[in-house]
Amino acid sequence: MVVINKIYIVSTLLLLFAIILNILPLPNIIDSCRPPILLLVLIYCTLAYPESINLAYAFVSGLILDILLIMPLGYNALCFTITIYLIMMYYPQIRLQSNWNKMFSLLLILIPFFLSSTLMNSILKINYNIVDVAISIVLSVIIWPSLFNMLRFIRQKYTQ
Amino acid sequence: MNNNLHFRQNHFTLIKLIIFLIISMYLIYEDKELKLGNEVRNNFSHIIQPIYIVAESPLKLYRNTSLYIKTKQNIIKENNGLKKKVLVQSGIIQQIPPLKEENKRLKKLLGSSSSIDSSKILIAELIKVNLSPFSNKVIINKGNNNNLFLGQSVVDSFGVLGVISEINKNFSVVTLITDAGHAILAVNARTNKRIVLSGTGDNRKLKAKYISLNEDIIEGDILITSGLDNVFPGGYTIGEISVIKKKLNQDFLNVKVRPSSALSSNREVMLLW
Repeated sequence: MVVINKIYIVSTLLLLFAIILNILPLPNIIDSCRPPILLLVLIYCTLAYPESINLAYAFVSGLILDILLIMPLGYNALCFTITIYLIMMYYPQIRLQSNWNKMFSLLLILIPFFLSSTLMNSILKINYNIVDVAISIVLSVIIWPSLFNMLRFIRQKYTQ
Repeated sequence: MNNNLHFRQNHFTLIKLIIFLIISMYLIYEDKELKLGNEVRNNFSHIIQPIYIVAESPLKLYRNTSLYIKTKQNIIKENNGLKKKVLVQSGIIQQIPPLKEENKRLKKLLGSSSSIDSSKILIAELIKVNLSPFSNKVIINKGNNNNLFLGQSVVDSFGVLGVISEINKNFSVVTLITDAGHAILAVNARTNKRIVLSGTGDNRKLKAKYISLNEDIIEGDILITSGLDNVFPGGYTIGEISVIKKKLNQDFLNVKVRPSSALSSNREVMLLW
């Protein structure tokens, strides 16, 4: 019971930290192609605890991000929910993969996220640069192994 | 048995996914104009503002530290530069009252009413957090407590910045003039012709619309606010014409304008009444 509580507390704190990282001001050049940190942390938490951190977490984190980024409510919530659903479908396979394979599967999983956000941008007439979005996804794939190891270290230290 | 459990879990997950997708789509449909989000932000502003402040704190810390370690010599140099600037600008300001009087007298002769001077100015600080890179919005640290109103114009020391589009308790959202959904009525300072400018979503350019092929317009023309749109007071600089392209198969000129305000780098802005 205590372990389950710890899981929720650590995951929520990690997600809160990721939300702050997501809105942290950065120089203009990196700003437009920053990786979706909150989504990456969410993916990690779901991979680690698929029974506890699930679609509801993805939906609520997306809504919080929408409120903070002054975007139409539901925009990020929808993209995050689709991505986390894919993780919940394939987590047993992804967990067993090597680092390189993990990077490749993250790329595959981020493609629906990329497509759904692009589709929504065009429906809501939000101006966007497709190259920047593509770069942000490539950056996410590049930082994924180190982020994964860092998050695993934090998780193992504080949930056991 | 195990397989069955696995199947059940997948089944529930799919149902959950469909429910969340329906809720998200409904929310997106309802919040196209950001009204629902505005209400939420207004009700939870006491929670949201601290998050913005925490996110902004590393930048503030960096700025304060760099200010602290600035050498005395640099500060003296900067101070001397600023003194010179003040001297030059106060010289220019001295010419304004007689010009104003002359303007009033000429307008009286012409029979038109003189433009209203904005009497109150409030300085606000930008809260530098990263919003969506394509949204062209910024957050300022003044809100309901400072008697702001929706549609209030915001300028910086170089020119027009935007209008207030959302007011919360302690912070407000400013839509920049470069936002794709924003338009402004400008006047060419050289020819006095009116021009409609609309945002492109790119912070570095605005688009001038409906300019006929034989219009008297050249690159470098300064555009100022007309004061006719009841949003911006007249006479503030918007930007200068940077590119004019003429295509034979089009009815209008393709004109791009470079905004003069420092849209992506300023720290303080002025609110006008």
